[in-house]
Amino acid sequence: MTEPAFFILTALLDAPRHGYGIVAEVAELSRGRVQLKIGSLYGVLDRLVGDGLVELDREEAWQGRLRRYYRLTEQGRDALDAEAQRLAANARLASTRLRERRNLITGTPS
Amino acid sequence: MSRLEERYRFVLRLLPAAYRQEWEDDMVAAFLDSMDTGDSETTAYVTDYGRPSLSEVASIVSLAVRLRLGGADAPPRSYAWGQAVRLATLMAMLTHAVMVTASIAVTLWLSGKIAWLPALAPEWALIPSGSIWHTAWDLAGYAWLPAYIALVLGHRRVAQAVALLAVVPPAITTAVQQAGDVPLSVSPWAMLLIDVVLLLAMAAFHHGAPPVPRRPWLLALPVGILLVPVPLFTIQATTPALRLVDWPGLSCAAVTAAMVIHLAVRVSRRRPRTLPWSLALTLLAVATLALRTATLLDYSDQAQHTTLATIASVQAIAVLAVGVPVAVAAIRALRRLPSIPTVCPRPTTPS
Repeated sequence: MTEPAFFILTALLDAPRHGYGIVAEVAELSRGRVQLKIGSLYGVLDRLVGDGLVELDREEAWQGRLRRYYRLTEQGRDALDAEAQRLAANARLASTRLRERRNLITGTPS
Repeated sequence: MSRLEERYRFVLRLLPAAYRQEWEDDMVAAFLDSMDTGDSETTAYVTDYGRPSLSEVASIVSLAVRLRLGGADAPPRSYAWGQAVRLATLMAMLTHAVMVTASIAVTLWLSGKIAWLPALAPEWALIPSGSIWHTAWDLAGYAWLPAYIALVLGHRRVAQAVALLAVVPPAITTAVQQAGDVPLSVSPWAMLLIDVVLLLAMAAFHHGAPPVPRRPWLLALPVGILLVPVPLFTIQATTPALRLVDWPGLSCAAVTAAMVIHLAVRVSRRRPRTLPWSLALTLLAVATLALRTATLLDYSDQAQHTTLATIASVQAIAVLAVGVPVAVAAIRALRRLPSIPTVCPRPTTPS
């Protein structure tokens, strides 16, 4: 799973969001590190919809335009859960190694 | 519709029609939301005079490339075009890599560094460059070799950056020369244009594209050197008449030979999965013909222009004679492929 896909799924966890709502939420979640462009967002979104991880929730008229709201599917939640666990396991592995290395240098027993 | 919306919709026309049908309005709504500054006056000014930023346009171009030149999970027609562009790019890059690698050996021979090879006639002797910077500048073309290897190994961005080194110096040299005493000519610009197209075509090797089979494409490098430039240079060095075959002429000969082999393989094996190769060879044939036609203009003021024009016409006819059946077969096969529209999200009842 790519980083933008991971953040888009995470942004949709708490509530359905429209296109720009996802962009704004992803920027906030990543503390401004992931700034999705509209082309990049829809490039990922159409794949997530195609894979059944995200689906259309509703359409709402706003300032003369139609906004589509997207929500996470059960399958999307499972995929995000699996990816989060994978990333957490990787992070744990790296942290353990780093701690061991630091202890080796300072001579502190682990 | 505001002018900003008009401009954004114009950029979105790069995307396939089926994709736009499903996503365009939503993309426009999201884009206009992103341009909302919160202050009504500023927003009104932006919607009248603003333009999509370069990074927004780049994201649409990137999406268009991914959709039109698809990977393995794309609709069959998009995948066929994707494979065709990737194959054509690899073949063109391979040709560059083969020629520059062989030219290193030829340069060493001409400068007398390979003692066991026979000495050449004085007219072939190399004139040493004025400075080390001049030599380095002239060597820029050799960047095609690492660029090709990087592309085969899956490092597309590295390949593009390195290939840029091979394209920019000759462009500057040509511009400086033609702005000075050297008469204006079409050939170097036509070749540079093809190199720039090649540079852009590398975008077809995106994340969704299948990896390049390394072994055959890496093996093709030494095989290509032994089969084409080495015998060619030996023949040209010993038979003066063959010096009239120039680079576009050689490209015509190589593309024609490749298409003849392709047609023979198609007929003998009756393989149905040759469409990307047919399309790729058609693309190369079109590029070669364009190059041949453009370079013909430069022959008008040369001493042997009648002979050169005749040779060039024969080369162009040969490409057309073999290229038309290949192109017709490719277009027919392409039409038989379904162009599946993208997945359309429909509102569903929340679970």
